[in-house]
Amino acid sequence: MSDAPIVGRSRPVWVRVVGLAGLVTTALTVWLGLWVTPPDQKQGNLVRLVYLHPPIAWVALYLAFGLAALSSLLYLWRRTRSLFWDRLAAASVEVGVVFNALTLATGMLWGRPSWGVWWTWDARLTSTALLLVLFLGYLALRRVPADPEVRAKRCAVAGLIAFVDVPIVHFSVVWWQTLHQGATVLNADLSPTIHGSMAWTLLLGFVALTLVFVWMVAVRYRIEVLADRTGAEHLEISLAERWAEGGVAVPTAPAPSNGSVELRPPSPVGQ
Amino acid sequence: MSYVDAGYAVGLSVLFLYAIGLVLRRRSLERRVDLAPPADPGQRATEAPPGES
Amino acid sequence: MWRDALLVAGKDLRIELRSRVALWQVLPVAVLSLVLYAFALGPVRHTLASAAPGLYWLAVLFSTVLATQRSFAIESGEGTRDGLRASGIDPAGVFLGKAAAVAAELAVLQVVLWAAMTVLFGVHLHTAWLALVASLLATLGLAAAGTLYGALSAGLRVRETLLPLLVLPVLAPVLLAASRAWSGALSGSVSDGVSWLRVLGPFAAVYLVIGIVLYGPLLEAG
Repeated sequence: MSDAPIVGRSRPVWVRVVGLAGLVTTALTVWLGLWVTPPDQKQGNLVRLVYLHPPIAWVALYLAFGLAALSSLLYLWRRTRSLFWDRLAAASVEVGVVFNALTLATGMLWGRPSWGVWWTWDARLTSTALLLVLFLGYLALRRVPADPEVRAKRCAVAGLIAFVDVPIVHFSVVWWQTLHQGATVLNADLSPTIHGSMAWTLLLGFVALTLVFVWMVAVRYRIEVLADRTGAEHLEISLAERWAEGGVAVPTAPAPSNGSVELRPPSPVGQ
Repeated sequence: MSYVDAGYAVGLSVLFLYAIGLVLRRRSLERRVDLAPPADPGQRATEAPPGES
Repeated sequence: MWRDALLVAGKDLRIELRSRVALWQVLPVAVLSLVLYAFALGPVRHTLASAAPGLYWLAVLFSTVLATQRSFAIESGEGTRDGLRASGIDPAGVFLGKAAAVAAELAVLQVVLWAAMTVLFGVHLHTAWLALVASLLATLGLAAAGTLYGALSAGLRVRETLLPLLVLPVLAPVLLAASRAWSGALSGSVSDGVSWLRVLGPFAAVYLVIGIVLYGPLLEAG
C-alpha cells in the first residue's frame, strides 16, 4: 500500500510534556481566574470569563484554522506535497471546531448577563458561527471514503476556500452591523482595559490553551495516521482472506486503491 | 450557579471530555495496529515507502 | 484558455437547451420558494416588501446550488470526465466555461424571479443600474464558487446533501451583500447600496482566480 504510513511504536516524549504543561497551566489559570484575581469595577465577577473566552477564541480562529489553511496550502503546493500536511490540517480542523463551538458557548454565557440576550447578530458572533459551519462542512467532506490522495486534495481545496472566505465574511458582517445603527451598538470587545494580576492571568490563559491545543493536535494527528494505517491494513487483510478463499497465493504487488472499494466479508467457504 | 461558573464548567468539561476521547481513540487504534498480523511476509516488504510516525 | 472556456460553456448550454432541466425544474422551484416565503411571512404587504431583497437572493442562492449540481450531474456518466481530461482542454478553461454556463442560467432565472418578485411582493425598482450591477457581480461570484465546490464534490455519492453544506456558508457573504445592495436599489438609498458592491466585486474576483488556479488539481483528483 503506497499510502500506508509506517507507524512508530513509541509516542514522542515532547507530546507528553506539552500535555502535562497544558494541564498544569490551565489548572493554574482557572485557580487564578476564579479565586485569586479581583472582580472588575464595572463587570464584577463576570470579567473572570476573560481568562477563558478570548484565549479559546484565539486558539480556534487563528491557531487552529490558520494552521489548517497553511497546511492545506502546503499540501497543494507540489514542492511540499505530503500527506503529513493533509493529516495535520485534518487534525487542526477538528480541534479547531471544538474550540470554535466553545468560543460560541462561552461567549453566549458571557453575553447573556452582559447584554441580556443569548444571541445577537453582532459581527464577531455571526462570523464565528459561520466559520463553525464552514469547517463542519470540511469535517463532513473528510468522512467521505476515498483514496487518501484524492481526499487530501479535495479537503485541502475546501479548507483553503473556507479560510479565504473568513475575511470576506468578517468584513461584510462588520459592515452589516455598523450600517444598521438602529440596533444597539454592542461592544463586541468584551475584554476591559486590563492590568495587574488580571493581565498576567490573561496571558497565562493564552499560553495554557495554546499548549492544550498543541497537545490535542499532536494526538489527533497520530490518530489520523493510525486510522489510515489500520484502514490500509484492513484492506490488506480482507484482500488476503479473499485470495485465500480462491486458493491463490497473495500477490506481492500492492492492490491499487480506488475511491470505492467494497469490503465484503469473506464467505464461509468450506476449507 | 452563576454565569461565570457555568462558563468555566462548560469550557473545561468539554475540553476534558474531548481530550479523554482523543486518548481513548488513540489507544484503541494502537491496539488494532499491534494486533493486526501481516497478511504475508511478502506484503510487508512492499510497504517500505517513506513513512511518518 | 478562453477558447476552451467558450467550448465548454457552449456544450453545457446546448445540453441545457436540449434537456431543459434548469428551465423546468430549477426555475419553478425558485418561483415556488418565493411563494412559500410569502406563506411563511404572512400576507402583510409591508413585511414582504421589506423582506423582498433578502428573499429574492435566498431563492437565487438555492437555485445556484441546484444549477451547479446539475452542471456536474451531466458529466457523471461513465468516462465523461476522463474524456474531458484526455482531450487536453485547459482545466482553467473548463472551470470558466462551466461557471459561465451556470452564470448564464442564473441570469435568465433572475429575470423571471425579478418579475415574480415585483408582482408577488409589490416592490418597485428605484435605481435599476445598481440592481443590475449588483446582480452581475453576485451572479459571477455565485457561479464561480458554486462551480468550484461542484467540482470538489463531484463523483461523491453523497453529493446532494454535502454540496449545500459545503457551499452555502461560502456563499453567505454574497447573500448578505447582494440583499443589502438590492435593498438600496429598491428604496433609493444609492450610496448605501453601492458600498456593498465593494464586497461583491472582490468576492467574484477572488473565487474566479481561485477557480482558475485550483481547478486543474481538482480535476486530477476526480
